[in-house]
Amino acid sequence: MKAKFSDYLGSIKPGLKEMIRILRKDYDYVSVLATDSRGLAVRISQRSRSVTDDTMTAERGIVVRVCKGGQYAEYAFNQFDPAAPDKAAAEVRGALEAQLVMLRLAGVKTYRTPLLPDEEQSLFVEKETQQLPETADVKALVEKLGGISDKAMTLSEFAVECIVSAQSTHICKLFLTEHRDLSQSYVYSEGAIFMIVNREGNTQVAYESVSGLCGPELFDTMEGKLQKAVDTCAELLDAERIQPGEYDIIASPEVTGLIAHEAFGHGVEMDMFVKNRALGAEYIGKRVGSDMCTMHEGALCAENVTSYAFDDEGTLAGDVTEIDHGILRTGICDALSALRLGVQPTGNGKRENFEHKVYTRMTNTMFDSGTDSLEDMIASIDHGYLLEGMESGMEDPKHWGIQCIIKMGREIRDGKLTGKVVAPIIMTGYVPDLLGGICMLSPHREVFGSGGCGKGYKEWVKVADGGPYLKTKARLG
Amino acid sequence: MLNQLVEILKSSGVYGWEISDVKTNGWEFYFIRHELDQHRVKNVEHITVKVYQTADNGESLGFASAEIAPTASRQEMEKLVSDLAYRSTLAKNRAFTLTPPTDEQFSEGKASDIADISADFIRTMAELPETDSEDVNSYEIFVSDVIHRLITSTGIDETEHYPSSMIEVVVNARRDGHEIELYRNYTSGTCDAAGLMRDLTRTMAYGRDRLLTQPTPVNGTCDVLFSGRDACAIYDYFATRMSASMIYRKISDYEIGKPICDRFEGDKVTVTALRELANSSANHAFDEEGSVIRDTVLIEDGVPKQYIGSRMFCCYLGIEDSFIPTNLAVTGGTGSQEELRSGRYLEVVEFSDFQVDEITGDIFGEIRLAYLHDGDKTVPVSGGSISGSMNDFIRTMRMSSDSTQYDDMRIPSLTLLHDVTVTGAEG
Repeated sequence: MKAKFSDYLGSIKPGLKEMIRILRKDYDYVSVLATDSRGLAVRISQRSRSVTDDTMTAERGIVVRVCKGGQYAEYAFNQFDPAAPDKAAAEVRGALEAQLVMLRLAGVKTYRTPLLPDEEQSLFVEKETQQLPETADVKALVEKLGGISDKAMTLSEFAVECIVSAQSTHICKLFLTEHRDLSQSYVYSEGAIFMIVNREGNTQVAYESVSGLCGPELFDTMEGKLQKAVDTCAELLDAERIQPGEYDIIASPEVTGLIAHEAFGHGVEMDMFVKNRALGAEYIGKRVGSDMCTMHEGALCAENVTSYAFDDEGTLAGDVTEIDHGILRTGICDALSALRLGVQPTGNGKRENFEHKVYTRMTNTMFDSGTDSLEDMIASIDHGYLLEGMESGMEDPKHWGIQCIIKMGREIRDGKLTGKVVAPIIMTGYVPDLLGGICMLSPHREVFGSGGCGKGYKEWVKVADGGPYLKTKARLG
Repeated sequence: MLNQLVEILKSSGVYGWEISDVKTNGWEFYFIRHELDQHRVKNVEHITVKVYQTADNGESLGFASAEIAPTASRQEMEKLVSDLAYRSTLAKNRAFTLTPPTDEQFSEGKASDIADISADFIRTMAELPETDSEDVNSYEIFVSDVIHRLITSTGIDETEHYPSSMIEVVVNARRDGHEIELYRNYTSGTCDAAGLMRDLTRTMAYGRDRLLTQPTPVNGTCDVLFSGRDACAIYDYFATRMSASMIYRKISDYEIGKPICDRFEGDKVTVTALRELANSSANHAFDEEGSVIRDTVLIEDGVPKQYIGSRMFCCYLGIEDSFIPTNLAVTGGTGSQEELRSGRYLEVVEFSDFQVDEITGDIFGEIRLAYLHDGDKTVPVSGGSISGSMNDFIRTMRMSSDSTQYDDMRIPSLTLLHDVTVTGAEG
């Protein structure tokens, strides 16, 4: 079925259009993003259970963007009376003018930006889903997740807790300007199993997840992930510390996604180019990886949690080839940064929610696949590690450093897995070295969308990333 | 609207309920260099309703929560309460008692002048001692005036009015055509102009040094000294181990009265939850469930004294008077700065992202700038990482006796971990 667009947004749309008409008398540009995204989150463990509508992207509110004399400003609010658009327009004007009074007194200069274009455009998208979070059978879902948690406790004598969480959000967004009218409605879902074991004071946790551009029907697949979480915990209990050093590594698809995200995901967010915060700006057209390294980014290059039809500035979704056979071709860009840089926006302008500013953000960040089998990759290594499980990452776009925290590594010696596991692992290095070392890629690609991404330490948004098994060299500690 | 919602909840027949109403008036300013990129205003109200229902003859208590729009009609409120009443029967937990009201009187606080606070931030940033080689790339200022009201079925009706601020700053340093950046994110109640000036001036000096670094040479173990806010993650680990949910789930093995280490060879940590710290962004009289926040010693001289946390898990552990902590103070250091700064050690002042895993105790961090001290010799280094486990470090950890405050935490100014694994960055 179609994910039906919000009745609420439909009902306030005439009032929003009238507010835009009124504000256009005072401002050179006016746009409105209105959101009404409903969520369902269920979390079940052996010792607590909760049901809420609070997911990372559930929201209802409005943000007005205006520009006057090259100065952009925004007003975010969540109490709009569609019968009194003049009152809302006065509220916007009054609040922003109060800020300008203080800014003038402080002698602040404006960073001037050209006007955003406003050509005629309309779009109405309702994507397919089998179920909606707002009408899901919560009782059945609670029982399903409880069953997984209960089963987990029977699969390991060292199990102390198994937390199973499921979240689904029905995103509805309306973008309006004087000449543009865009609406979209879609559902994404994500689930996770956290298995926790303890043996003689040694506590370990394993995490398995599912995600997709679909409704709560996704959670039917979760039980299939349980045994992997249990097995990983057992291996972690016996894991050793790695001897620090540089090794040949094979990144599993999840770790490949983490590398993509941290290496040339953040590194080519072009709002960072505007501030001269990314080394990538100087490397467009230059080699940053091996011939085998090709990377895509965009809401259209995979179907997962952030595969929208248009971004939070009304730019249609795209698919950008960032790195083509080792050569950095372009970055991703929000609309205002595109104006400042004289390039086209790529559909990557995203907000944490209506209360937050737009930044250039990732959607699906993916390495292309190759033709090498995992068996051949393992056979090619004298001493190295197969890295599995993503914990976290951090980028340094200005210096091209990278930090990836990885759950575990499987030792490879003389072309064979030895059965020895090392954990945990911190992988660090210089991004061009890491990508320059890519010499084998598997044919199969996977996408992972259960995590969130911050810009610095804030502005959390949904992203997905992934790719194939990938062989390169890295520093492990 | 709230009165109507309370009336609907009271007549709904549910066992218990809570309403949290948070109104935020926020001002935001985004600068590139010192030019204003954008300015923003946020004027929002978020109302969250939580409903409790008993089951199994009082043996179980379930709960469900949802946000309701401040413009909701009576019909929408009634539907929400009805939906939550049903959903709460599905999420059954072992029974516990809801937070009771207190006789203690609290000051509600007063409205903050967000224009004045914003101007303080802007003025402070304009006065930074920038040079040709070290300056500010960009910064983002967030200042809010927040009113939080909590109403519950047990009779709690408390309101707090407080300021909340954050500034994110990116500092550049350049030398011989090469430029690097350092990132800072400060939270506070209002603008701490002196603290901001002091820390950003030091940050610019770090930037200068980072351009002079050699690759981190160590591949093995080394003593590591923390002299900045990254050490907060280490002390957060101790507080988290004392949380009632971690104890009840058996994820933490800390026991009241049993030392957290069987044989201390270094300093013994004392962790105290505090209602107030000067200009903290987390100064509250009561927590999100209405429990009164009191100054409480959680760990004393390395011995757990008091578990702490949400009402549900505290009740399960038989703790009636507890709360979700906000501010923390850590003491227990016995060494002077001079004592801790002796011999050969690596002082890491800039990480990519230093982390302590609250479940396993593992620590990680890529080194962006460190100083390798060896007697009188100091070499700035970068690259590589540190790793290890707090379980191994607790025994010999040292702390300085003086302290430094980082927003909602006051911690020893220096923290020394022995025999940390260091992965070097040389060739």
